Amino acid sequence: MNGTAHIDEVARAVLGVEGVAFLKPGVAQQVRSALAGTGRAGATRASGLRMSRSGGGGEGTWDVDVHIVVLGEARAVDVARGTRAAVAECLRRMFPETTAPARITVTVTGLL
Amino acid sequence: MTARTDPPRPSQPDGDDELLPCGRSLAEVWDLREQEKHDPHLEGCLHCRRAVDELAVLETSVRRLREQSSTAEAYDARALTHRIMDVVRLELRPGRPLPLGEPDEDLWIMESAAARTVRAAAETVRGVRAGSCRITLERLPGREAPLIDVRLEIHAPASAPLQDLAEQVRRSVLTAVDGTLGMVLNGIDIRITDLLDAADEPGEGTDR
Repeated sequence: MNGTAHIDEVARAVLGVEGVAFLKPGVAQQVRSALAGTGRAGATRASGLRMSRSGGGGEGTWDVDVHIVVLGEARAVDVARGTRAAVAECLRRMFPETTAPARITVTVTGLL
Repeated sequence: MTARTDPPRPSQPDGDDELLPCGRSLAEVWDLREQEKHDPHLEGCLHCRRAVDELAVLETSVRRLREQSSTAEAYDARALTHRIMDVVRLELRPGRPLPLGEPDEDLWIMESAAARTVRAAAETVRGVRAGSCRITLERLPGREAPLIDVRLEIHAPASAPLQDLAEQVRRSVLTAVDGTLGMVLNGIDIRITDLLDAADEPGEGTDR
């Protein structure tokens, strides 16, 4: 599984969290790209979800930064907690050999 | 779980805070257009005019999309359009990240999203119009969690008892900030900046 596939997997986990409407740039960037006819594949999703790994060697700490828009009927802090738990679980599933805890930052950028 | 208490890094060079070739940010251009302010630069700048045209096309497209939906009659298309455009605006002018939940949880909410919730809560009080909303953070030595304060300006009905009205607004904001966001406030400073005549008063539960 390559880097893009990892991001896809984590993005799916985030979008599966109850109360998450979409990853941050979903509306503005996607619609603007569509209108301009210059869509950049993957750019939208990657902007709302960033993953990097420090330490190298496949054992370093994952640093994940997630920006989400939350549905209005959900409580923002609960959705943010659910998102962090979903990302942590997804990383554990993808990298069972990694023992270092992931550093996961979740930011609610809007409410629908 | 981490022990990070500093805000996450701001927008990245490849983020949504797009800079036009003329040096202006897309957010600034859209903002001026929405406020219908006279903008001499825009008249002579091809990049800014394109950005404004793009916003108009976006608004039209959102409206058409809603109208074309087979279930359109079940929804208020205008309200939905406003909600979608609100999200677009929030993405372009997000403000600062504010802590959400416990200090060691590394959860954040952008100031603009929180302020919108505060203003909407204030306007559930009959006759109130919300104005400027500032949310400030104060970090005290020896205390991990920063103090979060709201300073909200409102226009109030001239006929209302102002002390009671301010208390209602305070309760409504506290309930929304806790129930909708889950953010813990240290205090709310409400300033009544104008009194509205009966003819100017908005109704209850304004759709924003």
